[in-house]
Amino acid sequence: MSCVTFTHLSKRYADGTQAIVDLSLSVADGELLVLLGPSGCGKSTLLRMLAGLESPSGGEIRIDDMVVNDLEPQQRNIAMVFQNYALYPHMSVRQNLTFPLKMQGLPRQEIEERVRTVAERLSLLELLDKQPKALSGGQRQRVAMGRALVREPKVFLMDEPLSNLDAELRLQIRQDIARLQRDTGITTLYVTHDQVEAMTLGRRILVLKHGVVQQLGTAHELYARPANTFVAGFIGSPGMNIFAAKLHRDVQGYALEIAGRSLSLRSGAYTGEVLLPFEGNTVQVGVRPESLCLLDEGAGFSVSLSAVERLGHEVIAHFPAINRVGDSQEEHSARLAYQDALQIGDSVKLGLSVKDLYLFDPNGNALPRVGDIVSPSATD
Amino acid sequence: MTRRTPTSEHTIAWLFMAPGLLGLTLFILVPFFLAIVLSFTNTRLGSPLPVEWVGVREYVRLLGDSEFLRAMFNNLLFALVVVPVQTLLALGLAVYLNRPLRGRAVFRTLFFMPVVFPLSLIAVVWILIYSPDANGLMNHVLRVMSLGHWQARDFLHDPLWALPAVMLTSIWQGVGLQMVVLLAALQAIPGELYEAAAIDGARAWQRFRHVTLPQLRNALVFVVIVTTILAFRVFDQVRIMTQGGPENHSATVVFAAVQAAFDRAQVARGMAMSVVFFLVVLAITLVQRKLFKQTRS
Amino acid sequence: MHRKRLWIVLDYLLLSAAALLFIAPVLFMVAGSLKPDARVLSEMDSLRAVLPAQLDWQNYRDVFARIPFGRYLWNSALINGLIVGLGLIVNALAAYALARLQWRGRTLILAGVLALLIIPFEAIAVPLFYQLSALGWRNDYLVQVFPFVANPLAIYLFYSFFLGLPRELEEAARVDGAGILRTFFAIVIPNAKPVFATVAIVTFLLYWGMYLWPLLMTVDDGVRPLPLAIATFYTLPPVQWGDILAFGVMMVLPVLVIFIAFQPWFVRGVATTGIK
Repeated sequence: MSCVTFTHLSKRYADGTQAIVDLSLSVADGELLVLLGPSGCGKSTLLRMLAGLESPSGGEIRIDDMVVNDLEPQQRNIAMVFQNYALYPHMSVRQNLTFPLKMQGLPRQEIEERVRTVAERLSLLELLDKQPKALSGGQRQRVAMGRALVREPKVFLMDEPLSNLDAELRLQIRQDIARLQRDTGITTLYVTHDQVEAMTLGRRILVLKHGVVQQLGTAHELYARPANTFVAGFIGSPGMNIFAAKLHRDVQGYALEIAGRSLSLRSGAYTGEVLLPFEGNTVQVGVRPESLCLLDEGAGFSVSLSAVERLGHEVIAHFPAINRVGDSQEEHSARLAYQDALQIGDSVKLGLSVKDLYLFDPNGNALPRVGDIVSPSATD
Repeated sequence: MTRRTPTSEHTIAWLFMAPGLLGLTLFILVPFFLAIVLSFTNTRLGSPLPVEWVGVREYVRLLGDSEFLRAMFNNLLFALVVVPVQTLLALGLAVYLNRPLRGRAVFRTLFFMPVVFPLSLIAVVWILIYSPDANGLMNHVLRVMSLGHWQARDFLHDPLWALPAVMLTSIWQGVGLQMVVLLAALQAIPGELYEAAAIDGARAWQRFRHVTLPQLRNALVFVVIVTTILAFRVFDQVRIMTQGGPENHSATVVFAAVQAAFDRAQVARGMAMSVVFFLVVLAITLVQRKLFKQTRS
Repeated sequence: MHRKRLWIVLDYLLLSAAALLFIAPVLFMVAGSLKPDARVLSEMDSLRAVLPAQLDWQNYRDVFARIPFGRYLWNSALINGLIVGLGLIVNALAAYALARLQWRGRTLILAGVLALLIIPFEAIAVPLFYQLSALGWRNDYLVQVFPFVANPLAIYLFYSFFLGLPRELEEAARVDGAGILRTFFAIVIPNAKPVFATVAIVTFLLYWGMYLWPLLMTVDDGVRPLPLAIATFYTLPPVQWGDILAFGVMMVLPVLVIFIAFQPWFVRGVATTGIK
């Protein structure tokens, strides 16, 4: 059993920056949890605190119900794969793999056995006597993984291990890591800023921004039930279009006032109960680029295209943001079926289905949709 | 396997620092303060009289001490002459070598060679070069260059020529070091800057003024400061070549301090000179740093 | 085309002439060491000053016959070797503590060490001489070694280097269970070869020619190093210049060899400190 628990964890640096703000989280035994967020959001800090390389300002870290705040990294029985691998350049691959076991004081027989097993598993046998500088990026990555594996740790920590590899390699090694984690069943925390990586690897994903938990959920939950406008705009490529609209009530029910038009919310996903408190106020509205479509005529939104990206199977059309919210998104986008004809400067009509609209309160928090049992906010 | 607590890291750190700290304290800090303290006394080595505190008497004496004042003057003169001459020479050489030149490394080595020579060796060899005979190397060369008008001189014993003779030796020894630093700085200037300037219509001299010199600023500052300080530290050549003579015309401050404390057992006087020497070097360093900081981009 | 080649050839000629002129004193020294003493003085005004008619090695034999040159050489080698060797250990340890470890007083000590960089040796030579003589410590090898082992410049060079090492290596070692000592010796030092080389060479070149300190602290030949020996040799009657120049050549040879062999290291080190 190797579960990890953070209780009211916080980290504040000497210059005042708050890297982590009151984080509480449970990671189940054998789970692969992904920590996702833009750079500076605190995900690496969180990982390093778990590793023991940095100490928390407040709160508790437990591994298997044992408080580890004061323990050295080695005493926590964790292993870490660094972003730049941190392979010992003056040692051969074999020596790199042996080093942590030597530090543990294991008998020579066992060390040799473990190194051999791990080397076999990661296809490192032919590389054992080579130096790191003679290896390719992918090979070095495997050695870094091997060095961590060889310790048979309770928890695996990975700090953006794929960011130094080219795209093709990344794909392949991503799958290798996923398979490895399933086979070994070691609890893993994986840090990345790449959402595609996050969504394909982890079952649960923790999204962080400026040290604050934004949402903890599965890939689908993050996509279909974003807890706030940050998550909505972060997930997806491009992310959800967010704009401001005034909520009013008309004869048929609630409606949004956008660009001088009134859009009825009758067939949408929000009940009158949920919308009532915000009547007359400006709310934030989101719609995913993939939910927009091109209309030949009829009721729709007229936009003038500022950029057109052709991607073979689809076209991503960008246009100046409608009813921009503060300083966010300068442009909005739509993912449309492929067509040659679209050019910059064209004026087109876009349509959407009301069901695809997401509503957020003025603070950016998502309003509960029909069918949600619990409100989508950060829970453990 | 030990827990890295703040305390154990603290202890290990102090253990790491200990030998170095001990050495620095015993052999730099202590003598430094000793000099200050002793300069306020009337210590004489081997004297049976008890030591007494005399306050600033030694320093006041120094103010009227013709030997010391002459030495300070010499050092100033030394700096004022050697620094610009050596720097310009080094700059010229560096600029001249800063081209795709095959064998540049060989030339660089040749010019740098004197820098690694022990000063006492250089002093002895140049004593020979400055031989007072008419056929002495330096006398001969000067006669040839002046088309026969030069009269043979005994440079090292001539009140007018003793200090310049030492200066030349220092310049010869030091120019290679400056050249190497300036050359490296020159080579660090990206070629595109020159290309852009050329496209903008700048001629060679203008490119030098507006591209080369500004980029060289840091290196030039470094080189000037180091050479100035070295100009004040001159000792070996003076001790071996001229013994400060004739009549202190080539004495330097360090020479005077050593002569006082070591040759004449005037310990307090030597200490006071050492302290003044340090203060002068400190003042120069600070002034120069400040001056050049303003012009630094 | 011809024109250009002409310029290039002239260019090289000019440069070579300048270099030769510059190096003439060295050539003079070498040439003189290979001539009979009388010729050294008599041929000074001719080309023979730098180009001996024939190579005569008698001076070199004379040097060994007249004075214990071997002993001086050994003294210099021993003293310098100890200064460099001990210095590498002491200064690297201190610099690592300053660069990578957390401890109370670190900032203060760091500032102190950097401040000591400003004090030129000549300023403390006289008081140090007094201090150690008063304690009766004179005229041996150790008094010529110990004062120079702890060196602010060396500490600074190591310090800059250690700061530049990627922290991840030390962190990986820590995660792997290595303590501070283990990390320093097994991980940091093997990856610090360049700075060790630079500091060793710089220290060696700095102290090989040391004259002032042995002058103050040694009384007899037993422990005197080469730079002091040549100065006393030159005053030893009879003054035979051939012998003196031969002494000089032998004295500078080790330094030249090391310098030429490690030139790229050294030049790079000097140049980068200057540019910063």
